[in-house]
Amino acid sequence: MNAIEVNHLKRTFRAKIGVFRPKIKEIFAVEDITFDIQNGELFGLLGPNGAGKTTTVKMLTTLLIPTAGSARVLGSDVVADAQEVRKHIGFIFGGERGLYWRLSAIDNLRYFASLYGVEPEVTKKRIPYLLELVGLKDRGNERVEGYSRGMKQRLHVARTLLHDPEVLFLDEPTIGLDPVGARDFRQVIRDLRDAKKTILLTTHYMFEADALCNRIGVINKGRLVALDSPANLKKFVSDLNIIEIESFGIAQEKIDQLRKLNFIGSLSIQDQDQKQILLIQTERGAEAVPEVMSVIGDQRVGKVIVREPTLEDAYVRLVEG
Amino acid sequence: MNYSNIIKYWRVVLTVAELTLRHQMNDSFILFTILVQPILVAVLALFMLKDAAANAAMFVVVGSGLTGLWSSLLFISGNSINVERFQGTLESLIGVPTPFDVIVFGKNFANVLQSLLSMTIAYLLTAFIFKFDLSLQQPLLFFLSLIIAVFAFISFGLTIAPIFVMYREVQHWQNAMEYPVYILSGFLFPILLLPGWTTPISYALPPYWAAVALHGTSTGGAELNSVLFAWAMMIGLGMIDLLIASRLFKVMLYKTRVDATLDVQ
Amino acid sequence: MNGLAKNLRLFWQGTLLSYRALFHWLKPTTYAASKILMPLTQMMFFIALGTYGSGRDNSEFFVVGNAVQIAAVSGIFGVTMSVGGERWSGTLVYLFGTPANRMMIFFGRAFIHIIDGAIGVVLAFTWGVVLFGLDLSQTNLALLALTILVTTFSTSGLGLLMGCLSLVTANVMFVNNTVSFLLLIFSGANLDLKTLPVWMQVISNWLPLTRGIAAARLLVAGANIQSIAPLLVQELLIGLAYGMVGYFLFKQVEITAKRRGSLETV
Repeated sequence: MNAIEVNHLKRTFRAKIGVFRPKIKEIFAVEDITFDIQNGELFGLLGPNGAGKTTTVKMLTTLLIPTAGSARVLGSDVVADAQEVRKHIGFIFGGERGLYWRLSAIDNLRYFASLYGVEPEVTKKRIPYLLELVGLKDRGNERVEGYSRGMKQRLHVARTLLHDPEVLFLDEPTIGLDPVGARDFRQVIRDLRDAKKTILLTTHYMFEADALCNRIGVINKGRLVALDSPANLKKFVSDLNIIEIESFGIAQEKIDQLRKLNFIGSLSIQDQDQKQILLIQTERGAEAVPEVMSVIGDQRVGKVIVREPTLEDAYVRLVEG
Repeated sequence: MNYSNIIKYWRVVLTVAELTLRHQMNDSFILFTILVQPILVAVLALFMLKDAAANAAMFVVVGSGLTGLWSSLLFISGNSINVERFQGTLESLIGVPTPFDVIVFGKNFANVLQSLLSMTIAYLLTAFIFKFDLSLQQPLLFFLSLIIAVFAFISFGLTIAPIFVMYREVQHWQNAMEYPVYILSGFLFPILLLPGWTTPISYALPPYWAAVALHGTSTGGAELNSVLFAWAMMIGLGMIDLLIASRLFKVMLYKTRVDATLDVQ
Repeated sequence: MNGLAKNLRLFWQGTLLSYRALFHWLKPTTYAASKILMPLTQMMFFIALGTYGSGRDNSEFFVVGNAVQIAAVSGIFGVTMSVGGERWSGTLVYLFGTPANRMMIFFGRAFIHIIDGAIGVVLAFTWGVVLFGLDLSQTNLALLALTILVTTFSTSGLGLLMGCLSLVTANVMFVNNTVSFLLLIFSGANLDLKTLPVWMQVISNWLPLTRGIAAARLLVAGANIQSIAPLLVQELLIGLAYGMVGYFLFKQVEITAKRRGSLETV
């Protein structure tokens, strides 16, 4: 039995557009997703914002009812046997909310421990253990409202492990954390995997998925566009080279001209403060550079690099075609 | 709501109640509704009624305590689910194996206990500051009535919260629902003063029977039969409310997950 | 002339701001509930309680008292929120950075609530006539209207002061609700003030609303302008006094905040 089985899962939302003559628009958040996750696997759901990752996780954690399709967690249906599913899962939705800010960390944990049906004797021992595990040992009696974002995230991890669930859902858990905090958090995730827990992690950071996951499902606009190990996904773009060009406000018409060049697989633009990085995927590699530069003409550019593709480039290709 | 659920999860109910009390202790709006307003009502009513009857003081203490109970049910218990939603904790509460109605029962229990606290404070204030005569005519029956009233109020409150969650428009009328219950339940004056066609409405309200029992056993010199009848009505209506609440919760839990309203967008 | 025009514009903008704030969050149903139903239910409760305590033929006392008391609600909640609400929207910082005439802004906010409150009282009197048998045949309606306006003005003055206080304290709603209810006790809406202990009567005399209610009761009983004029003048002065204290507090808040550098958290 697989830990998680997803079968043609679908979820639409209805949104009201307009104030005076409101029209109902149907948003297809998740269109038709099928995948399985094995026991002990660390599975990554990777996609841009709005792709449907959080919606998928909410359906699997029994917080949303699917519009169509079905899913099972540890053999129990997420709609019909929601109560059973909840006994064996833990979930974190990245962000500041979800904790009682006027209570201390310990009180928050006591509350959730009782809601998860953890025996009082076990709770008494587990809370200090978990607080130490997430590095909050000395701050347990402080009210959560005084916690930094990173601390709140860590408290969420402690909360999620109170009942020792077999399956964990981590939805964008490192968002909003500083780089050091995020790195420490990733180590926690690795430790959880080593403890044989099944983990579904969603993220839009490619390097994170690459570093942590056994397999990655790439999701875009509600559909699964790829499902494989990081290594295999990289092979998807192994025939390509990437030309990286640092530019400072390049004109849109130049970009359109570049896109029209026939040897260009895809062109994406990353914004970094004052500059942009043009990422050009091409089979021709370094030989393509002169032609590219001639199109760019006298527009100001900085570094020009030709390199091997990474998972990020595979992702770009998958998502932007 | 399964009666059996509450018994099975009794430990959770107590933990939820304890932590709700702790969490709310610093909320000034809650402090006002539960502590300050009933005492102010008591002071005003004392002045207004002191010539009306010999033991007006006890009547006022009990009556104002009841107003506090209702206001706390309406505003605090009624909002409790929506507040969790705005705080971002509602999803965490739904995603646990404990049935949600057990959690809400625990929260209501905490609110009712807080209200009883205000009744006690009003009693002490009136006794020691105003030095009125505050003897209970039938103390044993009074305390039993109190316990049954707690059950009736909690059950009644359980029907309100899911309605407020599912029908946001109803909550807009919340402010206008405070005084009518004071009036129809005879908290501070007998319903004899009201037109006859309102009497059936009064009879359907658990707070009315609570007032009958509590006033009757503290100042009203009620006969045992009428007290027992009031108890029966409270228990009966309480169980009907629990049944209704259980249906409402099932519908609410399903609807909010279909409509994706467990969290604010 | 230029200065006057500018000041009027500020006044008007304050009014508009309050108006929008007042009605933005209020849909028709909420407005109906809090403006129409809630005062009505409150009146029903206290009139019934009052007649229970002191006899049926006294109902006019309670009808008039509670009808006028409605003004307090608008003055306290509406005005306090529109001044104290600065804090929540964090706009106080920007306000203090402008050269705008503080007084115009300050009092401009209160204006819409004066009108809103007056409408509420008129509505309450209508309920009184239609549902509670209030007899206005002896009443000089024009004077009654004037009384209503003066009363809503003076409670708005109190609201301005409380709005300012709420800028420096944390508990707006708690203070609002408590003061609102205390006014119910001290204003004589439901009590013959002469039956209160002396110290409470002193407090009543220093609060707005008290004289407004007294004047209204006299008018309903058929009094003429001579009897009520002194009451109205005093009510007006009290309202102005509270408003001015509030205004000076407002200026003080600004100075202190700028000196201490605590604009963000004022």
